[in-house]
Amino acid sequence: MAIVLAVFFILVLYDLQRFIRKKKQAKVYIIYFFLMAASLTVSLLLAAGKRPASPAQWIEGIFKMIGVVK
Amino acid sequence: MEKERISSVQLFLLLIGFLIGSTVILHPTSTVKNDAWMAIILGCAGGALLMMVYVAIALLNPSRTLVEILKDRLGKFVGTAVSILYIWYFIHLASLVFRNYGEFITTATFPETPMVVVIGLFAVILVYAINSGIEIMARLCELFVPVIPAVFLIISLSLIKVTDFTAFLPILENGIAPVLKAAVSFATFPFGETIAFLMVFPHLNKKEDLKKTVSMSLLFKLVLSLLIFFRDSSVLGADLMDRATFETHMTALLIPGLNVEPLVDINLLIGGGVKISICLYAAVKALSQVLGINDYRDLTTAVATFSVVLSIWIYENILEMFRWVDKIWHFYSLSFQVIIPLLLLFLSLKKRKEPSKDGLKAKQQRNRRLHLSPHYKNNLKGKTNIDKKH
Repeated sequence: MAIVLAVFFILVLYDLQRFIRKKKQAKVYIIYFFLMAASLTVSLLLAAGKRPASPAQWIEGIFKMIGVVK
Repeated sequence: MEKERISSVQLFLLLIGFLIGSTVILHPTSTVKNDAWMAIILGCAGGALLMMVYVAIALLNPSRTLVEILKDRLGKFVGTAVSILYIWYFIHLASLVFRNYGEFITTATFPETPMVVVIGLFAVILVYAINSGIEIMARLCELFVPVIPAVFLIISLSLIKVTDFTAFLPILENGIAPVLKAAVSFATFPFGETIAFLMVFPHLNKKEDLKKTVSMSLLFKLVLSLLIFFRDSSVLGADLMDRATFETHMTALLIPGLNVEPLVDINLLIGGGVKISICLYAAVKALSQVLGINDYRDLTTAVATFSVVLSIWIYENILEMFRWVDKIWHFYSLSFQVIIPLLLLFLSLKKRKEPSKDGLKAKQQRNRRLHLSPHYKNNLKGKTNIDKKH
């Protein structure tokens, strides 16, 4: 878990100093942190052994719900 | 759009790398055993139709990316919503190839290394390539993609003595239905996935070569797939080929007195690398266009990180991945590869037939100016004089 945090910390630090230097738009920060936060959350859950339901299962559920797949 | 241009040869090699992709290790037609060659031919025919639809869309909307076409044809709101779905699809596709790569490397080459390390290190290199731009990616393809057929030749020629040329008989043992199912699989994976190239086609320097380039890459893929099938089938036999997870790897292991296993890894690195790069490039570019961000490079790291995490998260193990691909993938990809592109083609053709109101008004004004201009009157006089003389 510590390795996961360290990797994300390095990645964010590397990009953040570039964004600040180049004065990026606010929407760049928003989408960047949204994607990174989602990745970090899933990574921590996976590292803790608590695998959440995956998008493949969601997609399968949707197809079952509309009757495409039995 | 940034002024990056790629030549027809570079696009051809990008397409070859993409089409080969993870089919270096996985054959979508191997379920039909002896009849896979028929499924390959039929699948290629279906794939050709799909790719021609994408080419037609690109030619009807020159210099426009998929996102711009969607926004233009479906309206801003619906176009943006569909674009977001495509962004998800490209990220999902990249994560699938990442997973294939990780599974293969941790099963065959580095069994002690955690999969996330293998995928993560690969992603770092690919992010660097994507941030360098499509031109650099295309130049890298010029350098690396020719290695794939060379490796194929080395493995095939080394096995020329270990072959049984009757291995692909009898024909149609289980009827035509499984062959058609495998052909559909082959048409959607990998041909239908070239929808991602609608984000790359605007960079082609000679638009008139697009159809020829795509056709050539299709033909190359067809020939290579058939040769790989005949080689693997004649070396392994249909039954073993059906049961093996990675057929090409197993074939390479059978070469007497020679270990060419790393060559298969190299092929996967190149093919998989090209495919993931294109998918991630398409996703990042589409995302930046949807949000109105000037430089797509700002989001490459975040999207690639998400894709790596998704590749680990999405399936618990390789068997679940195969089950999902076999059961769900066709229905899932149908809308992205067939329904939406056909709708776009129909709308693009409709738009071309009916000239826009602005265009019509401009044409009328031009005609009026032309009729009033003295130059036009003089021309008209000259013409009538010539007619009289005659």
